[in-house]
Amino acid sequence: MMKRHGILLLLMLGFSLTAPAQVSEPTVYASVFSTKLFVVGAANPQTGMFYHRPSEDTVWRHTGAKNIRANALAVFPGSDGRIRYTASGNGLHKTTDGGNNWKITTGWRITEIWAVSLDPVDPSAVYIGTAYGIYKSTDQGDTWKQVFTGFVSCIIVDRTNPSVLYAATELGVYKSTDRGETWQRTGLSIDRTRTVTQHPKDPQTLLVGTEKHGIYATSNGGRTWTKREAGIDHETFYTIAFDPSDPSIVYAGGYATGVYRSKDGGYSWRRTCVGFAVEHIHSIAVDPTDTRRVYAGTMGAGMYRSEDRGENWRFIGLPGAQVGRIVIEP
Amino acid sequence: MKTIGILGWMFLAVQPAIPQDFFSRAQKLLDVVRAEREISPYVIAAKIRTNNDRQTALILLDSLTRDRAIGGMFYCYSLIGAFLYTRDALPDSLHRKVRLAFRERTMYRGDTENHWVMYYTGLYLAAQTWPGEAREMWFNGKSSEENFREAEGWLNHWMHTTFTIGQGEFDSPTYITTFLTPMMVLHEFAADPVMKKKAQMMLDLLFADFAVEHLEGNYGGGHSRDYPEDIINPLGAPSTMWAWMYFGKPEFAQWEEARYRPRNRGGWETTFGALGSYRLPEIIRLIATDRTEAYAHTETKRVRNIIRFGAEKNPPSYKYSYVTQDYILGSLSGGILQPIQQHTWDVTFVSEKPNNSIFTLHPYYSGRELAMFFPEEIKFLADEVDRYHLVYTNPDKWNSSSPFERTFQYRNTLIVLYDIKKGEMQPHINGFFPKTLDERWVDCSGWIICRAGDVYVALYPLRPGAWIEEKVNWRWRSNALKNGVIVEVGSKREDGSFAGFRKSLGKTLIDTSAFDSHVSVRFRNRHGIEMKYIFDGVRLLNGKEIQLSDYGFFDGPFIQSETGSGRVTLRHKTRTRVLDFNKAEIIESK
Repeated sequence: MMKRHGILLLLMLGFSLTAPAQVSEPTVYASVFSTKLFVVGAANPQTGMFYHRPSEDTVWRHTGAKNIRANALAVFPGSDGRIRYTASGNGLHKTTDGGNNWKITTGWRITEIWAVSLDPVDPSAVYIGTAYGIYKSTDQGDTWKQVFTGFVSCIIVDRTNPSVLYAATELGVYKSTDRGETWQRTGLSIDRTRTVTQHPKDPQTLLVGTEKHGIYATSNGGRTWTKREAGIDHETFYTIAFDPSDPSIVYAGGYATGVYRSKDGGYSWRRTCVGFAVEHIHSIAVDPTDTRRVYAGTMGAGMYRSEDRGENWRFIGLPGAQVGRIVIEP
Repeated sequence: MKTIGILGWMFLAVQPAIPQDFFSRAQKLLDVVRAEREISPYVIAAKIRTNNDRQTALILLDSLTRDRAIGGMFYCYSLIGAFLYTRDALPDSLHRKVRLAFRERTMYRGDTENHWVMYYTGLYLAAQTWPGEAREMWFNGKSSEENFREAEGWLNHWMHTTFTIGQGEFDSPTYITTFLTPMMVLHEFAADPVMKKKAQMMLDLLFADFAVEHLEGNYGGGHSRDYPEDIINPLGAPSTMWAWMYFGKPEFAQWEEARYRPRNRGGWETTFGALGSYRLPEIIRLIATDRTEAYAHTETKRVRNIIRFGAEKNPPSYKYSYVTQDYILGSLSGGILQPIQQHTWDVTFVSEKPNNSIFTLHPYYSGRELAMFFPEEIKFLADEVDRYHLVYTNPDKWNSSSPFERTFQYRNTLIVLYDIKKGEMQPHINGFFPKTLDERWVDCSGWIICRAGDVYVALYPLRPGAWIEEKVNWRWRSNALKNGVIVEVGSKREDGSFAGFRKSLGKTLIDTSAFDSHVSVRFRNRHGIEMKYIFDGVRLLNGKEIQLSDYGFFDGPFIQSETGSGRVTLRHKTRTRVLDFNKAEIIESK
């Protein structure tokens, strides 16, 4: 309690805690695109990257540039939050010292960034998805090369083979097997895909959320796909997350969905909305240090957390926020 | 009545003199702005540069640098502009605070053409002002040199695009301010003579583009973007302030007449023009004001960046205007060229009364339209846009693009066709008819006949509609999905009496035999010209096909340019002024 009061006091006094302290709790990062009050060019409530720890109840701290309409974020695994990226309309913001200093790594040729993904092994490799295509950097964002043209919502790097990438785009799901140099459309015939997620133990299994066409799955790296519709009453899905310790448990959220949960690897689903003020879910993340704890970022009602694998949810801060993406760093 | 008469006489008796030249108008503006106490970079600059209430100005500037919630493209260019105009009069402490703002504030770049012009102009001048500074000294973590190169690169890119394929946010009575003001500052303070010259050329181009569709302070014709308030009352738009100061029109004592006050912030942006050294070339003022001969003028612009649901990023957008001494009839070719705020066509007429415009539109909205241009989630876009623009989903709105609207214009005759898809949210069209018209009735021939002073407007609805009385206007609403209007405009100068104009409508021929099947109409106008148009199809003028792609970049008696050439020629009688962007050169002859 004293600790919470202390943090609140620091915040009230205007102190900026830019780097998460070294504690045993995981750090939860969220990119906030907008709040209900945002008006371009005006004096606005903060948007951008926020972070939080599970014991901090509803307290979130801002880090990096303010009012940038942050669509996505990435944290280099194992960097203790030192290497982080925020994707925004202004470009891709980068810190390599835990948030003390930030730099926009892109120039005027790159804008409207909606996805950022990192090679899990090589910190110099960065991929961004924009309204105009995919760009690749091999020097941590100092220089960029366009490798795909089209509207891209999500990019993932295969955690077992960094040569392989998948992208959810307006033109369907695309795959690269040469570190993003070239891209080929997968066998999914649906356009307008919004998110792609890889099974934590079987790299050939992927789930895809679409705009208006529900959820699709592949078990052969994208060659063939099947629609997963048992128990699903909704069409548009922005986020899908596996439980990293038990991949049979999967969560999905989207437009007016609340949170769907599957206990059989995404074959059948059950919906829960208990505790949500709005049911538009844009981002879900499972705490790898305690997989009962699940986070959901909403479109317009901030952050929610479940302590019981998605059965019940409660508001944990960022009121009014549209949360683009959540990343949890153990 | 007697009281009104006396008040009117008193008003005339105390009416201030009308400023007759740029310098007196600029001085008048500065007199007004410097008396304000708003925390505004323009008020600060006016107070300090006219040495009026400097102490208050310093307090206002201090406040401007303290409010950390502010930060963005508007702030970025206007703060550095105010600083550069006043720096010699500022104490060191304010120098430091302004400098610090570019380190500690997030200057948000935004997502539209005007946002980027403001952002990169501000960044260019700030980086030029504080060269050689390390990345830690800037809000974006880039060094002075990196910021300067980036801003210079984009400004050059934008200027080249504008000179070759046109603006996306073209001919906007509201947003013209957000292009002219940054260019004023850039022209004033760019140290690089080439950039300074290019800024001057951009100002010439923007003013000339306005001038050719200008009439007594009104920005006539179709607009890429505008607010409903300005669409239904054209002289309330910010562009009127620029017309007043640079074209000398309308001739009124600014600020004494509420009708002309711009909607936002008093329109103080023109202060940077009043303080600056840019002078409008006389040829542009003549283009803006010489209406001795009526003329047709066509333009090619570009559609705003398309990011979804389109094969081409910036397809061309075509525009036609017919300009006379008394009115402008102008139209965009139709379809979705800009989301949210498009104004496809109108007739704007000279009038002593407000609401001097007539037009129709289909009040379309959709997440898909927004998603063509905005990257946000489609399902939330309409609600998001409604928060800023308030009326986007309103069935009664007065601005809209629509995929179900097309036009075909020849001089003072216009055909507007609508082919609204079944199941659309707004299955109707609206027409705006101001209450300030002197006459408006539906003739038994079917024509809606209007008179505004010496301007005559006739609309023939291709499907029936109903009249709804509103505060300042009559709304004509028609619920047929296949729909349209034919518009004929005339004037006392062109047609003689109003009775003569009405009689001449009897000479017209309207053939709608293929309307139900093809949304097609054949029309022979009062002058015997035959126009035939099928929705989204071929435009035939006296049997000959009109190709919009044949429209020049600018093509009319006053401005000529080929699309892609980068070279724009302004003409007025024996005067010419060539803006050659490729060589960053202006060639003038008299």
